[in-house]
Amino acid sequence: MEKLDRLGWAAGLNLVTYGVRIGIRTNRPEILERAASVMPPGCTRAAGRVADRILSLTVGGRDSNRNVRRFHLLYSDALPLARTHDLDEVFALLEDHVKLYVAETAPRLVFVHAGAVAWRGRAIVLPGLSYSGKSTLVAALVKAGATYYSDEYAVLDARGRVHPFPCALQERTETGTRAVPPTALGGAPGARPLPVGLVAVAAYAPHVSWRPRRLSPGRGILELLAHTVPARVRPKDALGALRSAVFAAPVLKGQRGEAVETAAALLRTLDAMDD
Amino acid sequence: MSESRPKPPRARRRDLVVEQVADETLVYDLERHRAHCLSATAAWVWRHCDGATDAAALAARLGRTLGRDADEEVVRVALHRLARARLLEDPLPPLRARSLRSRREALKRVALLGISVLSIAAPAAGQAATCITRAACEAFPNGNPRCTGQPCCDVAGKFCRSQGCGQTCCCHV
Repeated sequence: MEKLDRLGWAAGLNLVTYGVRIGIRTNRPEILERAASVMPPGCTRAAGRVADRILSLTVGGRDSNRNVRRFHLLYSDALPLARTHDLDEVFALLEDHVKLYVAETAPRLVFVHAGAVAWRGRAIVLPGLSYSGKSTLVAALVKAGATYYSDEYAVLDARGRVHPFPCALQERTETGTRAVPPTALGGAPGARPLPVGLVAVAAYAPHVSWRPRRLSPGRGILELLAHTVPARVRPKDALGALRSAVFAAPVLKGQRGEAVETAAALLRTLDAMDD
Repeated sequence: MSESRPKPPRARRRDLVVEQVADETLVYDLERHRAHCLSATAAWVWRHCDGATDAAALAARLGRTLGRDADEEVVRVALHRLARARLLEDPLPPLRARSLRSRREALKRVALLGISVLSIAAPAAGQAATCITRAACEAFPNGNPRCTGQPCCDVAGKFCRSQGCGQTCCCHV
């Protein structure tokens, strides 16, 4: 780290997101805004020079004086993260790395890999692996009138409330993924933390209907723990937040078919709980 | 020559985080990073493993607590499930059912008494996160801490790892 510290950095800034302080420094001031733009949602500038993690980005490119093409280099503290000629790849890695770091270390918050929407003052949490259909189901729920919170992380506090993590929704295409801003689906993303109303573990399978079984609270917590980012580093915090989250919320598990029908069923389930 | 009686079981208490959730008990094993959900009856057996009470005595006490028969064989199955989850201090001798039918009957009684121990491995941070493309995984030099098992988006069932890879990380089982 000392070697990196001794290099001449042209510009830097400190940011804070979900209580985690991120420092970014670079040899090219003009790319600082782009680096800030790939930080997690809700990121704000922070005063001071202390950071929990420092990302150092050396922009390479062609050096016409020596006819040399330098690599772009990215470090997380002293550890090399990337060495590539593709600057887009560097920013993708930067975004990915910071998101995971924040999810693992955010103080007093527990990040669960899950979609989340709000419906009539309560959150619906949809845990699942990548490619299980979470984003599709989240999009269907938002189109049906729910409020977007995230298609990536349900951020729980110690009281089990869900905080928004309104990153762009990742829509799968034939060639990869496409980032869709939440406002494109209708309405503004949610802003305030909400209690959990329902947890649905719903993996997509073709030609099936959503006929879930209700899990016991303990088994429901295990389902959520399997997708909890800081499970190993802060198990007591993780279990506490999950226990609070499912305190009054049923955990349903099953296979689901088309997202539109499943979304309608989930909203009906939540409405029926009020009757 | 007679067989020596097995030691009475003792519940493990160290390096565990225990949380009560309604009538179930959640146990997180800090050594092995595994989490277990014990049903009410399984948790009762676990809590009463004091190193002095053998399976027969546990069965008698359990029966009085539940208000119905609980035989020693059922308690032995429960103890084996707890031992398999590493929630007892010492390993147990293998279960010896008199016959397959006898074992099936015992398992039915175990189910009727609601004895269950459900276990999962707690994910490492990368495993619980969004998937990573193979290209992004291979951009990390081998040994990079980011090769921590994040699932690979475009290679089903594989994770971004250092072991078994060349100079860079790779998508591996």
